[in-house]
Amino acid sequence: MPQELKDAIVGLRMDEALTLAGRMLADGTKPLAIIAESSEAMQAIGRRYADGEAFIPELIMGGEIMRAISEAVLPDGASSGTEGSRGTVVIGTVRGDIHDIGKDIVALLLGIDGYAVHDLGTDVPVEDFVAAVREHDADIVALSGLLTLAFDAMKSTVDGIAAAGLRSTVKIMIGGAPVDENVRAYTGADGWGSDVGHALELAAGWTEGGA
Amino acid sequence: MPHAAEEKHGDRLIADWASGAHLQFANDAARERYQARAQLIVDTIRLQDTGRIPVIPAATQKFALDYGPVTFREAMTEFDKTFAAYVRQYEDTDFDAYAGPEFIFPAGMFEALAWNRVRLPGVHLPDDKSFQFVEAEYMKADEYDEYLDDPSDWVLRKYLPRLSPMLEPLAQLPPLRNTLVFHQGLPDLVLAAAENPGVVEAMTALKASGEAVQEWYEYLGRLDQDLGGRLGLPRLLGAIAAAPFDIISTYYRGWRGAIVDMYTQPEKMKALMERLLPWQLQYGIDGAKALGHPIVTVYLYKGADGLMSDEQYEEFYWPTLKRLLLGLVEEGLLVWVFTQGKYDSRLHHFKEIPPGTCLIHLESGTDAFLAKEVLAGSQCIEGNVSSALLAAASVDEVEAYCLRLAEVCGKGGGFMMDFSAFLDEAKRENVKKMIEVASSPPAGRLMRERPCNGA
Repeated sequence: MPQELKDAIVGLRMDEALTLAGRMLADGTKPLAIIAESSEAMQAIGRRYADGEAFIPELIMGGEIMRAISEAVLPDGASSGTEGSRGTVVIGTVRGDIHDIGKDIVALLLGIDGYAVHDLGTDVPVEDFVAAVREHDADIVALSGLLTLAFDAMKSTVDGIAAAGLRSTVKIMIGGAPVDENVRAYTGADGWGSDVGHALELAAGWTEGGA
Repeated sequence: MPHAAEEKHGDRLIADWASGAHLQFANDAARERYQARAQLIVDTIRLQDTGRIPVIPAATQKFALDYGPVTFREAMTEFDKTFAAYVRQYEDTDFDAYAGPEFIFPAGMFEALAWNRVRLPGVHLPDDKSFQFVEAEYMKADEYDEYLDDPSDWVLRKYLPRLSPMLEPLAQLPPLRNTLVFHQGLPDLVLAAAENPGVVEAMTALKASGEAVQEWYEYLGRLDQDLGGRLGLPRLLGAIAAAPFDIISTYYRGWRGAIVDMYTQPEKMKALMERLLPWQLQYGIDGAKALGHPIVTVYLYKGADGLMSDEQYEEFYWPTLKRLLLGLVEEGLLVWVFTQGKYDSRLHHFKEIPPGTCLIHLESGTDAFLAKEVLAGSQCIEGNVSSALLAAASVDEVEAYCLRLAEVCGKGGGFMMDFSAFLDEAKRENVKKMIEVASSPPAGRLMRERPCNGA
């Protein structure tokens, strides 16, 4: 049954996955065990995405199935209990920019890759990033922006984290379609990426003693 | 069949637009500059080797406003300032065409309706940030049948009320399809209006919003007259049409909703795209006629590389987009296909459209050199100079990249120099270098006459 559930999720068959999850619950499988099986399936989708075999629709659909399973098997308000073990990430789209698709996908994949992800949403002021870094003792800050107008806000955020005395405690990545090495240098971030694969590589490198 | 009967309405539009028939020229020099530039743009789209590379602006936005300086908030409310900033920008930068503040919009249009779909500078965002669209689920997953059954009813009583709290009372109107005669339908309709003060308020809000648009259009008209009639700059943006998949995924269901539908109700999604296609085609054709502008722009959103697989693109995205492009071209119109994001793997599809009819915009994520290889002899390409490069790199770096673009992509014609998306934070010296490279040796494309702006 767990394998059937995983296959249904990887195959993006929402109804079948929900039926199987419901049956497992009825048979006495603990909700958190069902969530864990589902997370493994999402990791498989994430690996296929990283290998260029899957695309954003697969990730989003997989995420939707995960969400539906969580809602179906967990009591209201219960935590999925998936704690990030590889590090803590604070992520958000910078002040003045409300684009969220890229940021959401990076947050989703970092989460299934084993990070504790705190998503601050979009149009996030500098002080909210600073407060979140402090509160969660973050290892990584991920700043997203689709607009070229976001460059200055990214720089202000990096500067704000430095002014709060937190710069040496975190690695900062910037991401979004218009971002490149020039923008990284301008903003003072530690790394940049134009897609989710870059974000995962950067995070892995930083949390495993890499660059 | 006599030749006259074969002339398509687009052919006449191209001739009129290229002659500047809609403008009052300040002098003969302005007329000559306009006509030379407009013809150059048409000829380049037609893949003729004109001997030089046109330089066009996708949208200059904050780059233009900084000539005021004007904030985005001011630009949406104080049109005199916006107008002046754009004029100064085009006096200072020697483009071959202009893109005005069409995408800045008047704040009053949105504010009168408390329009949900945007976040505005000075209201939700800092004054110096551009307004941005909110993509959300404005159509529910189970509303396909309702839409297909009576689209206008859905738009009036579901879509508009979700986009604006001022228009929520419209949801309480009876279906217009029931309105027949004085004893059937009409009393229900007028009673709903009379008994619901919100309906009258909705109409008042629509009027106020419309007045803001009216004023804005007057400014755009005056700007066109000044930039076209005095500086000799053709306006690039005319009518707009949208890819059916983008309408569903960007305006109705949102990207998430559309993705779920691709897996859970693909046939309904396709049925809706089939319904949308002829309307978009007609909208583009009618818009071109109304504006007297032969280039219809199609902004592409959700079909980029990575946003879906090749199979999904070919199943969901391309079929109706292709027929939209073919339909516009069949009318004799030119199409500015504005790809957004990385588009490498999709480029070959544009070879399915008759050659020399489309202008394919490339953002910096797309490999322009690959695009040249794929589309040479098929469609004109333009764009690709990265906004980040123009904002953050040195003049020498900009020159090096633009030289390479001019030499490789400009070879044999079918290329226009342009930046990736909004110019926004670009340094002026970098933009001027980009223009200079396209216009002069050693890129080579020869002997561009350097008009003196404002003469």
